[in-house]
Amino acid sequence: MRPLPALILAGLLAALASAPGAALVARGLGLEGAPFDTARLLALAAQHLLLVLGGAGPAILLGIAAGLWVTRPSGAGRALRPVADAGAAAAQAIPPVVVVALAFPALGFGAAPTLLALALYALMPVLRATIAAVEATPPDAVLAARAMGMTEGQALWRVVLPLAWPAMLPGVRTAVLLAAATAAVGSLAGAATLGTPIILGLQTMNELLILQGAAATAALAFLCDAALGGVAARLTGGQGAAIQAGGDRT
Amino acid sequence: MIEFDDVSVRFGAAEAVRGVSVAIPPGALAVLVGPSGSGKTTLLRLVNRMATPSAGQVRVRGEDVALADPARLRRSVGYVMQSMGLFPHWSVARNIGTVPALLGWPQPRIAARVEELLALVRLDPALAQRRPAALSGGQAQRVGLARALAADPDILLMDEPFGAVDPIVRRELRAELTRIHAATGKTILLVTHDPIEALELATHLIVLREGQLVAAGEAAALAAPPAAPFLRALFGPEALALRRLSLLRVGDAALDGPAPDAAPEIAPEASLAEAWILMQERGAPVLAVGARHLPWSALLPR
Repeated sequence: MRPLPALILAGLLAALASAPGAALVARGLGLEGAPFDTARLLALAAQHLLLVLGGAGPAILLGIAAGLWVTRPSGAGRALRPVADAGAAAAQAIPPVVVVALAFPALGFGAAPTLLALALYALMPVLRATIAAVEATPPDAVLAARAMGMTEGQALWRVVLPLAWPAMLPGVRTAVLLAAATAAVGSLAGAATLGTPIILGLQTMNELLILQGAAATAALAFLCDAALGGVAARLTGGQGAAIQAGGDRT
Repeated sequence: MIEFDDVSVRFGAAEAVRGVSVAIPPGALAVLVGPSGSGKTTLLRLVNRMATPSAGQVRVRGEDVALADPARLRRSVGYVMQSMGLFPHWSVARNIGTVPALLGWPQPRIAARVEELLALVRLDPALAQRRPAALSGGQAQRVGLARALAADPDILLMDEPFGAVDPIVRRELRAELTRIHAATGKTILLVTHDPIEALELATHLIVLREGQLVAAGEAAALAAPPAAPFLRALFGPEALALRRLSLLRVGDAALDGPAPDAAPEIAPEASLAEAWILMQERGAPVLAVGARHLPWSALLPR
């Protein structure tokens, strides 16, 4: 997907989240209450983004590493594939808000429970995409790599990864999008996120704050998605098509 | 050069290869032939340790492959497979240079070698920077052959190398292989399920059935009558008879004494198959071979 539609959406939502935009909507809907300050919202957005990167980043690296490990042709990892798959599915199945609530007593107030929740939530898309991408590499190319005398590491770096990574990118993108949309729950445990105005709005019965928080969170999620989409399009740039055409020659 | 010593290979409960002993002399073009499921590919893969024997020993250049480092062994043995297995993300040139790069050759030497190989397999040098996806089946197969020959291995393994191309290209590639074999003197072990292809290419034949060795030896000796019933069934009596003729030379079969005046001329280096075709085309029962003659009865096995 080209990033343009996501960028337009992000722009519209950001305009809606800003104080003047929200005030305009409030007048139109007849809502009462003061809008959240734009400068504070931007500061929260920056902290939100840091949480996303801090939570999803390690999960992405771990997901890729685990995905590669369980798909290696030899070694212990292969036997652990069902375990890794089930573990990642379980991590995805627990709602992040539950993770935050459960981790709160152990990890305390602040960013830590949110980082854990985001990491767990982001793991599965990356792991699944990595496994699927590695398994979709043309088997004859992998066999040829072995037959030419590449060691397992050489075959991984020179043949498997270059062929697999275009198919791994969508998993990474999904993970970041999920994390960006989910990080707002962190405000329940006292983390500074775009969920903060939502909580504030719920406590003070100010619907305008809820609207602003929700719009800003969505805007940031779309922005992340558009950015990664752009990176993917630039990196792959037509190479993906050539690989697909070459992969199924018989 | 390559020796199998009472080798068996077991995959789970099934035995793909059972007690095969055969030796392939240096410089031979040995063809492994047999019905599908006869263990040909497995036997081939034992040579570069892509398969492991459950019993017996495989020796390459006199050394037990079980003691060799697999990566180093494989870099020293060329390998061509039916599906070619070209790396789709690399250019033709980089594909061909795979093994030299693994061996750590300097870049200019690799580039020079790639150029040399493109000429050897008769590929347009302009193709060097293309991706494999842009090649025809025949071109891709030539790239696969060039890649296998890149580090100048003395042994070449070929698994159904012409299986994926159309009959005309197949014919061309077979002729090319015979030419390259003659020019380089490499030991080639080739797998095919096509008996005619086997008879056409082989200096040595290894016939397998259900994982067991049925026959092995020089092609001319195996093609000579009386052929074993399984060989007759596998190759067909016509192919066997013609192959025998194509392996024998006119000079060795000609009789003393001049031919009749009208007899067509044939060179002593020509094969008996060519003599037979000339007799058919000209309706001539006798050919002139210099001062000697070749009657049709000389084509019969003695």
